[in-house]
Amino acid sequence: MRQRLIRAAAIGTEAMQVRVRLFATYREIAGEGALPWTLPDGARLRQLVAALVGTYPRLAAHADTMLLAVNLNYASPDVVLHDGDEVALMPPVSGGRM
Amino acid sequence: MIAVQRSRIDVARVVDGVRRDDAGAVVVFLGSVRADAGVRALDYEMYVPMAEKALAALVEGAKSKFEVLEMSIVHRVGRVPVGEDSVVIACSAAHRGAAFAACSWAMDEVKRIVPIWKTESSAMPRRAPSRRNRRA
Repeated sequence: MRQRLIRAAAIGTEAMQVRVRLFATYREIAGEGALPWTLPDGARLRQLVAALVGTYPRLAAHADTMLLAVNLNYASPDVVLHDGDEVALMPPVSGGRM
Repeated sequence: MIAVQRSRIDVARVVDGVRRDDAGAVVVFLGSVRADAGVRALDYEMYVPMAEKALAALVEGAKSKFEVLEMSIVHRVGRVPVGEDSVVIACSAAHRGAAFAACSWAMDEVKRIVPIWKTESSAMPRRAPSRRNRRA
């Protein structure tokens, strides 16, 4: 029994919670700027983005240009998330002409 | 000095913050809200803790990349009416070449990596709080 529990954890059936921050257009799409999100242990950032796009389909149109950050640093979709992480989904930064 | 604030930026104070006896040049850049057709203000939204971290890293980057003595960046958040400054960058160096180059590089980096988004507003600007520097 104990061994089964350990194996269950190892293959990612435990859950963790992250805090999702959304900005500008994305915040308007979701109707909220901050929301808690539960993911399986060991989930990568791309899984979270896919889950959010599933819940808010209008985000799909922005998937190619989306900027991602974990704990205030820009992050790649491959990064593994941890319990308590703050994850931000951001439109391209404003820019403007030189 | 790094600051994110809702109130007007006191340019003289930002400039004084980078003055040093060994600085022969101080360059200051003001990014102002332009009166494009129908625009009365810009609304700036910011991921404040990440923006502050990125701005601080940017100042350190300017110091290691150029011969910069001091650099300050102050950015507005919230509604900024036409004619007011949304960003002020001041930079000091022994000679003007480094100060001009660092100031220009820093502004490009602000536009490139700092999480700030602006939307145009045709609404009448509300008066910004004049005394309090509120964080978003």
